[in-house]
Amino acid sequence: MGRFLYDLFYNTDTVLAGWSAAAHASWAAHGRPAVALDVLFQLCAAAAVGLFLVLNALFIIYFERKVAARMQLRRGPNRVGPLGILQTLADTIKLLIKEDIIPDAADRGLFRVAPVIVLAATFMLFVVLPFGKGLTAADINVGLVYFLAIGSLTVIGILAGGWASNNKYSLMGGMRSAAQIVSYEVPAVLTVLSVAMLAGSLKMGDIVTAQPVYGYVLLQPIGFLLFLTASNAEINRAPFDLPESDSELVSGFVTEYSAMRFAFFFLGEYTNLFLAAAFATTLFLGGWRGPLLPPIVWFLLKTYFVVFLLIWVRWTFPRLRVDHLMQFSWKVLLPLSLANLVVTAVLVKAL
Amino acid sequence: MGDAPQPGPVKTTSDEFLLNVGPQHPATHGVLRVEVTMDGEVVKDIVPHIGYVHRGLEKLFENRTWEQIIPYTDRTDYLSAIANNFAYVMAVERLLGIEVPQKVEYIRVIAAELNRIASHLLWLAAYGLDMGAFTPFLYAFRDREEIGTMIEEASGGRLTTNYFRVGGFIHDLPPGFFPRLSAFIGHFGGKIDEYDTLLIENAIFVARTRGVGVIDRERAISYGMTGPCLRASNAMLDVRRDTPYSIYPKLSFDVPIGRNGDTWDRSKVRIEEMRQSLRILRQAMEGFPEGAYRVRVPRNIEPPRGEVYAAVEGPRGEVGFYVVSDGTRKPYRVKMRKPSFSNFCALPEILRGMKIADLVAVMGSLDLVVPEIDR
Amino acid sequence: MDRDVVSILKAIASLPRGLWITFSYLFRRPITIQYPEEKAELPLRFRGRLVMPIDQQKGTNRCTACMRCVTICPNHSIDIEPEKDPGGEQKPRPARYLYNLGTCMFCNLCVEVCPFFALVMSDEHELATTERSGLVIDLVKERYRLSGKKAGWWQQKFRSAAGEE
Repeated sequence: MGRFLYDLFYNTDTVLAGWSAAAHASWAAHGRPAVALDVLFQLCAAAAVGLFLVLNALFIIYFERKVAARMQLRRGPNRVGPLGILQTLADTIKLLIKEDIIPDAADRGLFRVAPVIVLAATFMLFVVLPFGKGLTAADINVGLVYFLAIGSLTVIGILAGGWASNNKYSLMGGMRSAAQIVSYEVPAVLTVLSVAMLAGSLKMGDIVTAQPVYGYVLLQPIGFLLFLTASNAEINRAPFDLPESDSELVSGFVTEYSAMRFAFFFLGEYTNLFLAAAFATTLFLGGWRGPLLPPIVWFLLKTYFVVFLLIWVRWTFPRLRVDHLMQFSWKVLLPLSLANLVVTAVLVKAL
Repeated sequence: MGDAPQPGPVKTTSDEFLLNVGPQHPATHGVLRVEVTMDGEVVKDIVPHIGYVHRGLEKLFENRTWEQIIPYTDRTDYLSAIANNFAYVMAVERLLGIEVPQKVEYIRVIAAELNRIASHLLWLAAYGLDMGAFTPFLYAFRDREEIGTMIEEASGGRLTTNYFRVGGFIHDLPPGFFPRLSAFIGHFGGKIDEYDTLLIENAIFVARTRGVGVIDRERAISYGMTGPCLRASNAMLDVRRDTPYSIYPKLSFDVPIGRNGDTWDRSKVRIEEMRQSLRILRQAMEGFPEGAYRVRVPRNIEPPRGEVYAAVEGPRGEVGFYVVSDGTRKPYRVKMRKPSFSNFCALPEILRGMKIADLVAVMGSLDLVVPEIDR
Repeated sequence: MDRDVVSILKAIASLPRGLWITFSYLFRRPITIQYPEEKAELPLRFRGRLVMPIDQQKGTNRCTACMRCVTICPNHSIDIEPEKDPGGEQKPRPARYLYNLGTCMFCNLCVEVCPFFALVMSDEHELATTERSGLVIDLVKERYRLSGKKAGWWQQKFRSAAGEE
């Protein structure tokens, strides 16, 4: 029994492979096609990821609200459930049962599709995320590239939502978001490249195992900060939350959204926060590696720590102005990340 | 429909478009509407529309007795009720020729300075919110709450205090007021430093406000701007210093001024003013005299014929009441000179040619109170 | 050039300083008052809804329907229907004292002007009703009993006034 639990946490891939093989064997004994079983397995995995996505977003929203409240001398949610832990669940249920309003002038088709695109893009990112040793849906050899590519897909949903709302504020929010994500993608990719150079691989699993015990954060301190800043901007969070800056654009691209579609955007936003943190953990903080505790626990702990950092920044700083945002990306982050890349390249070659 | 000209959109050239901000927009702090003509990101012209909360107060005053007006003055600018009480009561007292005891003057100055701090704190909170920093909002409200409690203990009201009366007050300061006040003075200085670090000196904030929304000295004066907005433009005008009233000549305090007249200067001047208000409070507390908290005035106030203008330095600038008496129980005319209105008039001048992104920053820095503009 | 470098360094330093402030607040006690369960203590002079308390010694209210409050009220929120005392001995008294909560602005002028200390601004501040008609209150019929420290304050006011005369 103890052995089984150890395997479940530390060698999850072999356990899963064992189950799969056993299932295949009994399936074949009944003479059924193996493809159906694979599809079934994939569906189960997708359902598990979907469940994790929802629960995780619920928790992060609660976590953010609690941390923000404590920073502001408030108590935060404390009415629904013990310590208010069910507050976000109640909010979600409220959003789901509210009337779904589509403005008359909106582009109905696009308006409906936009939130789904955002959520689908975040969902797809879970494929390459190494939760633990071997606990990856698909540890493909271009994992890093996949992550960056799919991660930028959300902008299509946001832009579509802003456009389809047929509202000046929404459109401006969508356009800002597009410009922002495109410009911050560049420094993010460059910093990620220096990590890839150190690890010598684009495979997520390899990057984790290639890291020293303390992670790449000590070798790449500037890279870590740059990456956090750039990815914070990419997920549109304060102080880079210009696409939905409430004092200027009312609510930006979500202005016209309500009920379930709003919940989709919201879910996508917080899942993106988690993913950005998880990516930073994988690249810089040694991923799931750590003493004593099982890998998945380490992974989640580190990720939530990074989430805390991002929340902390959000509730401290004022918002940047649009043109400063662009200048900051092209004039500060880009040169810094290029310099970081060059220095890393020289050091890797020399040592 | 015939050939009658249809009310339609304003004609614009192909590059320009109209953006309507308000009356319900998160950045306008109340029901204020501005129509912005834009050329891309640049503001070509800006037309403010006011009057959404016009209540006809000045006309209303003509149908109220002298003492009935005091609670209404609270409601012109609900963030500086004390300053409005002060100016109105002072005007009526000058009409009547009443000298109030020293103690009354001290209490009035203490209340007015507390009110100034409270108002500046609310500005800080709201401005932080405009700039996307939510946390200073709650810190500022925490301290404002302390002032609210002090004023409530003295007058019974937190916001619309209705504390001043012609000839003094309805209540003396409550027991336990001074320990509370000195505790507040003791710890509030550190809080101001905190706001300074957290918001005003923050690099992002400085980048968004420095050199933005500049109005030079001459323009500011010609628009009749007063208060921190004028002083930020390097013009020295403070009613407390220039036309001294009450006990202000006895107190020593600096009048902070800015250099460039930009948004950052306006913010910094307000922060400095809070420090100076603390200084005034400390002096007023030390020199606090004994005595009566009111003088006897006739039950029915009937000032002699005449007219008087009395002004105080409110948190937003010069708050003036011009009252005309025809010798009856009711005033013939009461004209209010309100700082928000004059400061607001300069908005198109400031914003023309700037980026739309600065609209929020500039509008917040003027510290407008819409009911005061509309009255 | 040096000044530029200094200002850039200062700008960079301002960010962690701000972060430190919010972090230090993370471990302080929240100052929230959980409103419906806990309530802030109201000061003695708090101006809530107008009431006409019963004077325990007289067994009724202290109003003599002198109409001073009706005259002073800036918003005409008070209306009195006076009646003569049946015995004819006492001063007149109000048959009905209609107080319109909907137009009242809690300015305290009626309380100040009352020569008999018949009116008090109570501590009641949760005043929402579901119907407009609920906003007009007959203070005589209500027979309000003032309690707490406000009662002592009120009694002391009219006792000391009686002593002066």
